[in-house]
Amino acid sequence: MTARNTKILFLIICILQLFYLFNFRSGFRYEIIKDPFSENSGISYAVSNEVIESKSILKRNKIAHFNLSTKLKEDTYFYQRSLEFNYPVIAKQSSEFIFFTIEEDINENCEVIETGKYLKLVKC
Amino acid sequence: MKTVKLLRRVNISNWLNVDMTKVTLNEKIVFVLSFLILNNYLFFSLNLPLLAIKINFLIFLFTIALYYFKNFTENFFLKIFFLIIIFISLGTPAFEWDARSIWLFHGKVMFHGNSIFSLGDSYSFSHIEYPNLAPAFASGLAILLGYWNEIFPKLSFTLMFLPPLILINSFLKNTHYLIFLTVVFFTIGKFLFNGWVDGLIAIYFVSSAFLMYLLFIINSNFYRNRLFFYLLAFCFFVSLTLIKNEGFALLLVLFTAAFLIKLYKGEFKKNILKLIFLSTSFLPIILWKFFCYSKGIGNDYINTNILFNLSPRIGDLNNYITISYFLFLNEKFLLALILYLGSFWAKFDKELFSFILIVTSMYILILFIIYLSTPYDFYWQLNSSAARIIRSICFLLAFFGVYNLRIIK
Repeated sequence: MTARNTKILFLIICILQLFYLFNFRSGFRYEIIKDPFSENSGISYAVSNEVIESKSILKRNKIAHFNLSTKLKEDTYFYQRSLEFNYPVIAKQSSEFIFFTIEEDINENCEVIETGKYLKLVKC
Repeated sequence: MKTVKLLRRVNISNWLNVDMTKVTLNEKIVFVLSFLILNNYLFFSLNLPLLAIKINFLIFLFTIALYYFKNFTENFFLKIFFLIIIFISLGTPAFEWDARSIWLFHGKVMFHGNSIFSLGDSYSFSHIEYPNLAPAFASGLAILLGYWNEIFPKLSFTLMFLPPLILINSFLKNTHYLIFLTVVFFTIGKFLFNGWVDGLIAIYFVSSAFLMYLLFIINSNFYRNRLFFYLLAFCFFVSLTLIKNEGFALLLVLFTAAFLIKLYKGEFKKNILKLIFLSTSFLPIILWKFFCYSKGIGNDYINTNILFNLSPRIGDLNNYITISYFLFLNEKFLLALILYLGSFWAKFDKELFSFILIVTSMYILILFIIYLSTPYDFYWQLNSSAARIIRSICFLLAFFGVYNLRIIK
């Protein structure tokens, strides 16, 4: 095999590898590449709807810190993603603003601030 | 005017004892890029004004533009393939745990001007004791653009691949460089754009091993007489340790291998000052670990429980079989090993072969100790990390296999 043919062979291998990475290993979305620099680009692919809802509730109510109910804390995915996704709104054990799932019962002394599709924000 | 005249009289090259005429433009670009990545980290560490971070990142982008447009046809395939990787990176969300909850989250905290030590106990899942070179760079890009989102900050991780990729292009040309890119796509793959730092650790480890080989192992004075390559090695070594905890172990392995080979060849005294100079590259990570320790933040793996976890597992042969199964029985490791052995079977270079063999053996020994002493579930730990961790060794074997092919006459 001549040097030129070897070069063409490896060039084709490189192109095939890139195509494989692009098509099967990347999770590439055309919706994202259309506008990768917008503020909310790709969030629906990055985190669940529940996590996105927690952020929009906090933003609408201009809340600087929050806490999660015991049930939500036990959901490791929601717990970790909601904490990092909502930053710089911080999670605080002592916060009076607590997220509950929509099915959870809340204490009578607590006041519901907003109810969403998956979560409700309560002040206790 | 007086200052300009004075500057003209001063020959900076002589002052630095560097023969800059023998350093190519690409090598200078590699040095500038790797220096700016470290500079960005330093600016964050020193809490310098945002303007300094913005200027630093702008110079980084300008240097990349210079590399691309100075002579676009030079390194053509790297430039085109890298643009494709940037395109993929900008169309891919970061949804996996490591990327989101550790690396990009640290970047986000730094972007908002806070110390990651300000995070309370609720955030302990994020491993705040991990080194933060890549998150600081992501934060630098976000500061330049003025906001944070879920997509573009991880582009900075991809940009960090450029210095080692350009460096290797100075040593492997044409077909050999295409084979090298095949190896990069095969061993590093999706880690080029998914927001994890395992690909970065692999490529900085191999580049560091390569520089260590050029400066201390190879029987040629071409590189070891040039201060420029020591400075370049210093930047790569520091970067390696500040990307991820493994970097410290990997650099220690490289130094030990160079030390042993020099001792065996009886040339240790001749090189001791150079080794001491380069060993200062451990200082930033030692300072970081000391800082974490002073804040009462320890390491999950290296702590007082290591013997407590290790002792019940060390005597059971099945544990060694399980670790070997997870580390070695994967297609990347086996193909890299075949390439390495095949290459050295075709042309045996004793020094290079011994260097790589010592480095690989020592790192695998460290991996066995780490896995045997894991505080987590043994099987879960192997299943979740072994294939990732061994990538550095896969890439090392495959790269030096390709490099050895290059020197076959």
